Amino acid sequence: MNLKQYAMIKAATNVISGLSMITLIALGVSYLSFKNAFVFQDINIEITNNPITQEKDIEFAMIGSKKFECNSTKVYGVAYAEDGSHSHKLDSFTKQYIRNTRPGEAIPNSWSMEVPFDLHEGGRYRVSMTGEFVCNYLIFTQHKSQTFDNILLIVDPRNK
Amino acid sequence: MYMNDLDKSKLITTQVDRWDLYARLTPTVFLVTCVLLIVYGVIDFETAFYVGVGMFAVTAVVWWWWAIFTIRHLVILLNRASKNLVEVAGEVKEVSREIEQLKNES
Repeated sequence: MNLKQYAMIKAATNVISGLSMITLIALGVSYLSFKNAFVFQDINIEITNNPITQEKDIEFAMIGSKKFECNSTKVYGVAYAEDGSHSHKLDSFTKQYIRNTRPGEAIPNSWSMEVPFDLHEGGRYRVSMTGEFVCNYLIFTQHKSQTFDNILLIVDPRNK
Repeated sequence: MYMNDLDKSKLITTQVDRWDLYARLTPTVFLVTCVLLIVYGVIDFETAFYVGVGMFAVTAVVWWWWAIFTIRHLVILLNRASKNLVEVAGEVKEVSREIEQLKNES
């Protein structure tokens, strides 16, 4: 190998190494940014039919925007009594939500959930809604979870 | 094992060449290896990310200590060379004065 060829190979490996380093740094930063981002931004969830009267379901309304492509895999709520004495799991949907809203814009979503049988005595509750998602961005896939707390729920006493 | 300044300098030159080769090859080898392992499902991106961060950290620490010891050696070498140069300059002056003295006597 003559000196010119050696210089050429050295320069080429320099360029390839630099490009590889830039690629690694860009992928690393993108991955960290994706991993640490929340699923929903500017999110608001409310119960629209408080107080929940006889035979009615709990109606939720939500608005929020997503940065990435995320598909929900599991959604459930927990209603905590305001006095902290007990809680009820809400996981029976009577009306489903839109599972895969498009990213980038605020899209309203809504769903209804059955009032659990053991909540017949009624009362004031604070609901935490939790969603589990699978999100995709570029070449990355990540499981994410996000909880929205403190949604006021008022249930009127029900006939047994 | 005692090493004289020349041997030590040669060793540093060799080490610099190795660092140069390492910097040239490692990013590309790591990138290609990770792409292949991820494509064939051997590891996921998260594993590759943490392996990369680990390698980066180890490289940074090793390089940092190597740089500190090398700089220390170079500073010692520079001081010794300066001191020797001053001694030689003094001796040259003394020899010149003696030659001048011999010329004057003859």
